[in-house]
Amino acid sequence: MAAVQETIDQVALIDVDQYKYGFETTIEMDKAPKGLSEDIIRFISAKKNEPDWMLEWRLEAYQRWLTLEEPTWARVNYPKIDFNEIYFYAAPKSTPGPTSIDDVDPELLRVYEKLGIPLREQEILAGVKTPRIAVDAVFDSVSVVTTFKEELKKAGVIFMSISEAIREHPDLVKKYLGTVVPTTDNYYATLNSAVFTDGSFVFVPKGVRCPMELSTYFRINEKGTGQFERTLIIAEDSAYVSYLEGCTAPQRDENQLHAAVVELVALDDAEIKYSTVQNWYPGDKEGKGGIYNFVTKRGDCRGKNSKISWTQVETGSAITWKYPSCILRGDGSRGEFYSIAVSNGHQQIDSGTKMIHLGKNTSSRIVSKGIAAGVSQNTYRGQVSTHRKAENARNFTQCDSLLIGDKCGAHTVPYIEARNSSAQFEHEATTSKISEDQLFYCLQRGIPTEAAIALIVNGFVKEVIQELPMEFAVEAQKLIGISLEGSVG
Amino acid sequence: MNMQTAITMTAAETALVDAYTAQIGELPGEGAVLSARDTLLANLRQQGLPTRRVESWHYTDLRALLRAVPAFDPTAFAEKVDPLVPGSSVLSVLNGKADTKNLPAGINVRSYAESLIDGVAAADLIERDQDDVIGRINGSFVRDGFEIEVPEGTELEQPVEFQLVQSAGQSHSRFPVTFGANTKATIIERHLSVSDAASLVTVVSDLILDEGAEITWIILQQQGASDSHLAQVNFDLGTNAKLRLFVINAGGKLVRQEVHGVTTGEGADFKLRGINLLGGDTHTDVTFTLGHDVPNTTSTEVLRNVLFDRAKGVFQGQIRVAPDAQKTDAKMACNTLLLSDDADFSAKPELEIFADDVQCGHGATVIDINPTHLYYLRARGIPENKARAMLVNAFVDEIVEELEDEGLIETLETIIAAWLEKHA
Repeated sequence: MAAVQETIDQVALIDVDQYKYGFETTIEMDKAPKGLSEDIIRFISAKKNEPDWMLEWRLEAYQRWLTLEEPTWARVNYPKIDFNEIYFYAAPKSTPGPTSIDDVDPELLRVYEKLGIPLREQEILAGVKTPRIAVDAVFDSVSVVTTFKEELKKAGVIFMSISEAIREHPDLVKKYLGTVVPTTDNYYATLNSAVFTDGSFVFVPKGVRCPMELSTYFRINEKGTGQFERTLIIAEDSAYVSYLEGCTAPQRDENQLHAAVVELVALDDAEIKYSTVQNWYPGDKEGKGGIYNFVTKRGDCRGKNSKISWTQVETGSAITWKYPSCILRGDGSRGEFYSIAVSNGHQQIDSGTKMIHLGKNTSSRIVSKGIAAGVSQNTYRGQVSTHRKAENARNFTQCDSLLIGDKCGAHTVPYIEARNSSAQFEHEATTSKISEDQLFYCLQRGIPTEAAIALIVNGFVKEVIQELPMEFAVEAQKLIGISLEGSVG
Repeated sequence: MNMQTAITMTAAETALVDAYTAQIGELPGEGAVLSARDTLLANLRQQGLPTRRVESWHYTDLRALLRAVPAFDPTAFAEKVDPLVPGSSVLSVLNGKADTKNLPAGINVRSYAESLIDGVAAADLIERDQDDVIGRINGSFVRDGFEIEVPEGTELEQPVEFQLVQSAGQSHSRFPVTFGANTKATIIERHLSVSDAASLVTVVSDLILDEGAEITWIILQQQGASDSHLAQVNFDLGTNAKLRLFVINAGGKLVRQEVHGVTTGEGADFKLRGINLLGGDTHTDVTFTLGHDVPNTTSTEVLRNVLFDRAKGVFQGQIRVAPDAQKTDAKMACNTLLLSDDADFSAKPELEIFADDVQCGHGATVIDINPTHLYYLRARGIPENKARAMLVNAFVDEIVEELEDEGLIETLETIIAAWLEKHA
């Protein structure tokens, strides 16, 4: 059909060159020497004034990492990473810990301004209608500023960079760090445990509903660096927190590594909502450059009736290897995973989730929407399993793929493991292109092709978009628009 | 297969290697056949049996599950049984030895041993891929079977029944079958055990369907509770060829039934219908891959699994659509009734799609009997155990009813009812 061909052509034209966050900023940086060794880890730990136990924890992880092999099971292809060519630590020079926003390098502030991230509280307050969001901005290896700290403190919420938390709340960090994703978990998580440089720490005490959305904005800027952030979020009994994460990087023709670990802990009746809009640089038209995104995200529904919900919009990165998971340990706990994965150009996505049902009466829901265009490969890989004692586990999984163009691939690899007769698992997956019937239906009603395709694609991802916090939903819709511009008008 | 460096060999691995040394002198075939066997065994020896680290064996850790291999028993005795459908042509393989008396007319049949002896079989004795352990074991040890050619235009009124009767020891058989253009036939591949002694049975069937062939192939596996059964069906569908494959597993301790196919002609259609009746300590794995390699081909797969006791069930299904295979329509469903807390079921339905103008989908469910259905029947005075049996029966009967042959449907229903009565 001509209209469909037109869409394909337009998508091809637009490709990934439209990456609008691809600028680079020259800021004087403080870097550790290239490569990875015990000395580098000691250097990072010293830079952050960490206590001894933290250094030991890192070194132990490093020793473990040396014995591990890089995983090869995912459907992604890339040349072997030379870990000795990466800077594991890079920080803007002017930050011996800024005490207020005025201490931050104005160049840095301009970066975030350019990205549309509000870091000045007063500015945010000035705009009456803008919803207030507390932001932790992470630039390469360090957190440069965290906003609304004082106001959050009044509510009892701790929101700060993890380096600060290690210094200021060592007991809390010690109690929870590595309890969801142990240092022995997998190749990249173990690497992260050894070298993580910053990230966010959130602690919402018993009974507190976090008064505003929390957000972290990650930016890789420096050439040749890897970003290894670690996020730890704890919601005590009956607490609630919604956390957003965004990320961008400059356009470069080298591949940069991003290996993060995110750990969530929800105690009795607590709820954590974690949303990601991942927009790392995806590489150019020929597939040169782009971020390797190897991320371990896991939530532990440790308490009764706790709930963890993951929502992700994945549009960036050359390679995405990411499986936000839920361990449903508490009786009556619930896990959710909503995902939109858009791949264009030469991008490769292998993403999905794991729902591990351990407690009684647990339930989980997975909705995954993959859109593949260009010559990209888009894979959903997911696991749903019940423990033998996990009575009345309930899962619903839906994963749909949409193909735009005949050079891309969409794949579905679910693992369904039932170990208890009271389990009730439903899984369905479909793969198709934009249906000509749907298109015809719209055209016949006088809707132009462009708008019709926009309508259909929006309808395709609607279920997931609805799960995003409002201000992110808008950004996500725009992002999908940019990734597939031409087809979505 | 992932790199599995030579680790200490398990009892079963050692037994297989020893069996080869013991049997090789009397296995049919020389020259190319012999060297093909040697290569396969060398690979088996080097790679060992697969563990769960090998993705295609993820849920069937053969290295752990295949504990022992019974020795080949030349004295074992088994007799032909009556065919499932009266009037069928029967081709029997008794304890691994093909019975060449009274071969049916109208089709070209010879024993596979002949094919091994004259060397024609050498081309068959290869591995599908790195993970093809069944091909490797079967190819090393194959003794007999039948080589069949159904001439162009032949329409067989009555089914042909391959009857593999096993009493003890090992049997390794092959069935290369070519269906000429526009042939019509129903083939029944039946696996029976007539004693309680443990057996190892491997079987590989290679089917080629030429243009317009319409074939129904039914596999009924009823081996003994201590038997290991490793089977593989490979098929290639030509233009407008239609294959309906029914797989019914109702026996065996360790069962792996692989089905691997490709569509190589436009308009080809494949249907897989499976019933897995799993009870006792069985571990039964149905692994299926289908490559839609050309445009305009269709396939549907429906599996119904019922698990009692400590049974373990596995279904892996992979549909691949090649880059140019536009207008592929493929649908796969795997429905499971898990009726015991000690049973478990794992499913891995996979889609691998490289063409855009396709309709592909899969669904998988795992559930216990619906209490409202049960209540409905109980409210009508039907005792609980009977009501449950009725519901389970209805669940699997849908599959059987897709066969058009009334006599065959009735026979299979009787077998299923008898199995359910014994296990429910």
